[in-house]
Amino acid sequence: MAVVRMREALRDAMAEEMRRDESVFLIGEDVGVFQGAFKVSEGLLDEFGEKRVRDTPISENTIVGTGVGAAMGGLRPIVEIMTVNFALLAMDMIVNHAAAIPYMFGGQVRVPLVVRMPGGGGHQLGPTHSHSLEAMFLQIPGLLVACPSTPADGKGLLKAAIRDDNPVIFIEHESLYGSRGEVPDDDDHVLNFGDAAIRREGGDVTIVGLLRMAETADKAAQTLSHEHGVESEVVDPRTLRPLDLDTILESVAKTNHVVIVEEGWPHGGVGANLAALIQGQAFDHLDAPVQRVTGADVPMPYSKRLEQAAMPHSEHVVSAALASLEGSI
Amino acid sequence: MAEIVMPRLSDSMEEGTVIKWLKSVGDEVAVGDELVEIETDKANMVYEADSAGTLTEIVAEEGATMPIGETIARVGDAGDVSANGGGTTATEDAKDDKVADVSSENGEAAPGPVSTSSESPSAQPSSAPEATTPSAPPAAAPAGDGADGGGRVKASPIARRIARDKGVDLHALAGSGPGGRIIKVDVERAAIAAGDGVGAGPAAAEPAPPTPGASERPETAKGQTEVVELSKLQQTVARRMAESKATAPHFYLETEIDMSAAFRARKRLKEMADEGEPVPTFNDMVVKACALALRDFPRANGAYRDGRIELYSRVNVGVAVAAQDALVVPTVFDADRKGLRQIAAETRALAQRVREGQITPPELSGGTFTVSNLGMYGVSNFGAVINTPQAGILAVGELKPKAVVRDGEIVSRELMGVTLACDHRILYGADGAQFLARVRALLEEPIGLAL
Repeated sequence: MAVVRMREALRDAMAEEMRRDESVFLIGEDVGVFQGAFKVSEGLLDEFGEKRVRDTPISENTIVGTGVGAAMGGLRPIVEIMTVNFALLAMDMIVNHAAAIPYMFGGQVRVPLVVRMPGGGGHQLGPTHSHSLEAMFLQIPGLLVACPSTPADGKGLLKAAIRDDNPVIFIEHESLYGSRGEVPDDDDHVLNFGDAAIRREGGDVTIVGLLRMAETADKAAQTLSHEHGVESEVVDPRTLRPLDLDTILESVAKTNHVVIVEEGWPHGGVGANLAALIQGQAFDHLDAPVQRVTGADVPMPYSKRLEQAAMPHSEHVVSAALASLEGSI
Repeated sequence: MAEIVMPRLSDSMEEGTVIKWLKSVGDEVAVGDELVEIETDKANMVYEADSAGTLTEIVAEEGATMPIGETIARVGDAGDVSANGGGTTATEDAKDDKVADVSSENGEAAPGPVSTSSESPSAQPSSAPEATTPSAPPAAAPAGDGADGGGRVKASPIARRIARDKGVDLHALAGSGPGGRIIKVDVERAAIAAGDGVGAGPAAAEPAPPTPGASERPETAKGQTEVVELSKLQQTVARRMAESKATAPHFYLETEIDMSAAFRARKRLKEMADEGEPVPTFNDMVVKACALALRDFPRANGAYRDGRIELYSRVNVGVAVAAQDALVVPTVFDADRKGLRQIAAETRALAQRVREGQITPPELSGGTFTVSNLGMYGVSNFGAVINTPQAGILAVGELKPKAVVRDGEIVSRELMGVTLACDHRILYGADGAQFLARVRALLEEPIGLAL
């Protein structure tokens, strides 16, 4: 075990898989000479050369299209989109090609592609550069979606994504690149897609949080414990598709109360989807309506104060948990 | 539509309990009309309307306790009165959301981080009241019951399942969840009350396990246990007294005061008084004597607060009165400047208002010293708990004739035992003793009280 940053854990995952499998390569804007806009590909160009670490023009649909073609042709491309915001330019390749091709051709071709990209707000980048689009990718059948919140998960899930034969949308968070954590340094640290992590055990309320909101959920759980005597079970789904619904349902069966926290928008969000699944499959275990804490239903404001006001914080999670538990505590 | 919120009726008030609505939904309300009776941590108060219109909705039912600032009722146009006569309806909620938020649907509020559920629109701090307070009385059968109509019981899914498994009749239960929803804990309590609780309900709702060797459940060892909830006032007394004893280092100075002269003086006053005119009691004399002495000993008329000493220019003596199953201390303001007769009239009126529950927070605050008297119960001496942050409290015992030695002779004198409790952080032994000596001198030569 070594304590490393998220960006290093992701870099190590790519380096290890590139060493392990010659068909793995990295392509994207500024991934080579500049070593990544967020320095995630540091050292990769030196080690693997220009053939396997390829800088591209600013042309997202083409970059992903190159990845889709390469994947169909037998390679295992890792496409880095500088941020999730620019993936909107590549939605045709992602939705109509990467996700659909294996179906359209009856499984005769696979698209073992990984599209890595960071999202999230909080840096005053305004409405166009602050997106959390997990829900958008979650909606598309044919795509796997990973949302790691710790360096260990980042590494284990990215290695799994590279080895998977399905197209994987691998969503990172800009604010988590510097976060540190213990990461197993063996090459076989590969996590399963579809295994949620219970970050904290508790019997009063289940809090589901993903990406940076996993941290927010944990902070809220601490406040609930210290200030309100409420013990929360914090679940990090880690992958949204496949989703480890069983772990969440087991927790709900224990606590009877759920709060779902995400940074994205409320309508048709990750929490909206999960709330529907929970009420459908754990209806008789619910003691209160499922609570969701989400980003505001607005384009992200530029003003720092407004931006912070539009983002979910641990106080909102605490309020939602207490609202859910009203009368029970 | 104007919102009536839980008002701050005393300095220390954090929440209030609605005792009685003096207006009903649909009533016209003018500014200044008596609207609702509220129990604060100190007293019961009538709160007057601060906006005019029709009382369209009562949010806080009688008996409900709400923090300061939470909506307890709404006043608006007559047309806003909801059809079912009081409760917030789902339609009304949705309409309000629309007004505030043109960009969202389904009642999901914006902007601001949104916390949504099928029923409560938001859990963000600014709208926490909606999420954390019952939005409607159970009888109104509001949101969630939909087409099932008013007869349907509102209960959470797991509450229904447990009720079904344990044979609990949901109709017989009062819900403690939002909007009166019956939740898991309600059914579990009912199941335990019905004797089904052993081995079925969660440990939290059950009584403590029997001690080893005891074959009976613990409540039988002490007979039936009646659990009595504390009133706001009792909670305040409990908190303040515990704080005082825990934080203020008390020490006690006892003495006996020869009240023979005061006894004679009072007898004269009584003879001289017109019929029905209040005659100052010995306690009134004690109040006056303390007030005069407090003027001479500023520290006794001060407070220890946050590591500093505050000295007050006014001398306001509180008189402890037992009432409302608790204890309150109405204040005789500027007691050093008032004559005995005025003090007598004021303490009598204040005690009366306390007993009738009419006393208001201003009448209970501002005291700089306290006198507590249990002499009427035959108590000869006792040590009182300081009414912090005050510096001291004088506990007054019974006045009765005793044999004492005066000039070598055994004579009978009217003696009264008093005990001064001092907070040693502000009032030291010598200071306290001198203050007490001054009180004693004033009472033993009561002519000084007339000055």
